[in-house]
Amino acid sequence: MTIIDILKESWLSISGNKLRSFLTVLGIIIGVMAVVIMVAVGETVQKSITDQFSSLGTNTIVIRAGAARSGGIRTGNKRTLTITDAEQIRKLPDVFSVTPAQSGSAQVIYGNKNWSTMMLGTYPDYTEIQDIEMEYGNFFDINAIKNASTYAVIGPDTARELGLPDNPVGQIIRIQNMPFVVIGVMKARGDSAFGSQDDMVIIPITTLKKRLQGSPFPDSVTMIALKIYQDSDNAVVTDQISSLLRQRHKLKDGDEDDFQITDMKQIMETMDTVTGYLKLLLIAIAAVSLLVGSIGIMNMMLVSVVERTREIGVRKAVGARERVIIIQFLSESVLISFIGSMIGLILGVGLSQGVGRFILHYDVPFSIWPVILSVTVAVVVGLSSGVMPAIKAAKLNPIDSLRYE
Amino acid sequence: MRDVPIISMDKICKKFPLAVGGEQQVLFDVSFDVMQGEFVSIMGPSGSGKSTCMNIIGALDSATSGVYKLYGKDISTMEPDELATIRNEYIGFVFQNFNLLPKRNMLDNVMLPLMYRGWVMADRIQRAKEMLKLVDLENFETYFPTQLSGGMKQRVAIARALSGNPKLILADEPTGALDSKIGNEILRFFKKLNKEMGITIVMITHEFEITQYANRVIHIYDGRVTYDGKIPANESVLIKSEQRNKK
Repeated sequence: MTIIDILKESWLSISGNKLRSFLTVLGIIIGVMAVVIMVAVGETVQKSITDQFSSLGTNTIVIRAGAARSGGIRTGNKRTLTITDAEQIRKLPDVFSVTPAQSGSAQVIYGNKNWSTMMLGTYPDYTEIQDIEMEYGNFFDINAIKNASTYAVIGPDTARELGLPDNPVGQIIRIQNMPFVVIGVMKARGDSAFGSQDDMVIIPITTLKKRLQGSPFPDSVTMIALKIYQDSDNAVVTDQISSLLRQRHKLKDGDEDDFQITDMKQIMETMDTVTGYLKLLLIAIAAVSLLVGSIGIMNMMLVSVVERTREIGVRKAVGARERVIIIQFLSESVLISFIGSMIGLILGVGLSQGVGRFILHYDVPFSIWPVILSVTVAVVVGLSSGVMPAIKAAKLNPIDSLRYE
Repeated sequence: MRDVPIISMDKICKKFPLAVGGEQQVLFDVSFDVMQGEFVSIMGPSGSGKSTCMNIIGALDSATSGVYKLYGKDISTMEPDELATIRNEYIGFVFQNFNLLPKRNMLDNVMLPLMYRGWVMADRIQRAKEMLKLVDLENFETYFPTQLSGGMKQRVAIARALSGNPKLILADEPTGALDSKIGNEILRFFKKLNKEMGITIVMITHEFEITQYANRVIHIYDGRVTYDGKIPANESVLIKSEQRNKK
C-alpha cells in the first residue's frame, strides 16, 4: 500500500461524509485561526512597543529631574538637573552627544490661526539623539543657543494646523506673543518617547528659558537626553552618569538620587519580556479552542470506526494487516487536521494582515511561527486524536466486524 | 506423489467463552481434506457450526485445538498479521451480503486485495478490469454498490475474490440474499470457475438444493461432521446421518 493509496483512501473516507468532515475541520480551522491571530496580535503589540522605544535607539539614555515621591507616588518634578550637568555629562568618554531639554505647552499663532502644541527647548544635538530629518530648512545651530535666537523648528502637523505655506521657512510665527522665524520643518515621523514630533515646536533651550519663560532658574532643565557610542555598555555609562550627578548635586551616601536615569535598552528588554508573556498568554487562550477542535477529530474518528466496522472487517478479510488499518485511520485524522490547519493558517494570516493593513492601518508583522505551529498542530493533533480510534479499528475481530449490522 | 491438500483439517475443536461464564464448544474433532480443484459444499442447519468452520478455513479465526493446514502451512498458531497475508494470498471471499465497500466504485472494490498485496496501480487496474469482464460487468467500473442489483453486486464480489488469483474461493451462503433465478446464475458461475479454471471452491450453505452444484458435500450437525462424500440424490441421506450422530 503506497502513500498515494493511503492518501486516496483517506480522502475518499473523509469526502464520503462531507458535512461531518466539514464540521470537524471547522473546529481545527477555528482553533488554528485563533492561535495565528493571537500570535499576530501579540507580535503586533510587541512590535508597536518596540518601535516606540527604538525610535530613541537602544543607545539612548534619558535623565529626568528627580521625581519627588510620596509613598511611591510621583507628585512633581524637582529642579535638580541643569544645563551645566549636561555639559559635564558630555565630557564622559562614552557619550556621543547630549542635550538638555525642557518641555512645555505653547500657544502658537500664525496669521489668524491659533494652535496649542507641545514646545521643546533643546540643543542642536537633539537632531542626533532623535535622528531627526528635515523636510524643509535646517535645525538651529549652537550659535542660536548662545544668542538665544528666536528660531523655531516645527513639526509637519503643526505647520498644517497653522495653515503655513508648503515650505514655511522664513515665515514668522508667534509663540506666546513673541515672534519666531520658522527655520525648518521636520519630516513626518509619528510618535516617539518624547511625544509626537509631528506636532511640536522646537526652539533653542536658552530662548525658552530666558526669553519665553523668564525663569528665575535659567540653568535648570527637566530632562537631559544623550546618546552613547554603539559599542559602549549602557550599564557602565549609567553608573558613570549616576556618580557624576550625585557628586555634582552633593548627595551623601544613603541619600536618594534626585534624578532618574532611564536606559532605553533596559526598558526595551523589560518590555520585550512582558510582551513575550502576553503573547504566550494569548496563544494559551487560543490553544483551548484548538484542543476542543482536536477532541472533535477524535470524536469523529471514534464514530467513524463504529460506522465502518463492517468495512474494516472486509478490509481485514481481503488481507489488510493491523498496521495498515492503523495507518489508514491515522492518516485520515492527520489529513483532517492538516486541511483544517492550512485553512486556519491562511484565514488567520489573511485576517490579521487584512484587518491590520486595511482597517487599523498598521503593518502587522508576518511571523514564520504560525506556519511552523500549524504544521506541528496538524501532525500532533491528527496523530494524537487518531491514535486511539486507529488502534480500536485495527484490533477489531474480522468475524465480528463482518457480522456487524 | 500424492498432491498436498489445499485444506487439511485435523481434529479441529472450537470453544467460545460464554458471557455468563464457562464456554461452549461448537466444533468437535472436525477432520477433512479438500484437494485442489474440488467444489465442496459444507452444509448444515443454523447453529450447526458450519460458519465457525468456514471462519477457521478462511483464516478469520483460529481453532481451540487441532491442526489446520492451508496449502501445507500450519496456520493454527499464526499471528493476526500473518493470517492477513495468508488470506490475501490464498483465499478469495464471497459473502452472503456481498460486503462491497459502499463509498468505492466497482473498480476500486475489485482492486482492494491487490492494493494490500502491494501491486502498482496500473497492474491493479488492468487485473480488476479483466475480472470485471470475466463476470460480464466491464461497463460498470465506475458504478457504486447502491447503483447495482444484488446479482451484479455478488458478481463484483466474485470478481474481487478472483482478483488476487487465489487458490481457494470461500463462499458463505453466496445466494442467501438473491432470488432463486439470480442465485442459480451465481452458482452456475461458480461451477464454471471450478470446471474451466480449476479453482477450488468451498461453499457454505444450509440448502440441500444448492449443494447440487458441488462435487462433494460435508454435512455438519451439532459441531460434528456427519457426512462427507458425493452429493446424495436425496437430502434424507444427510438427515439420517444427523440422526446417527444423535445416537
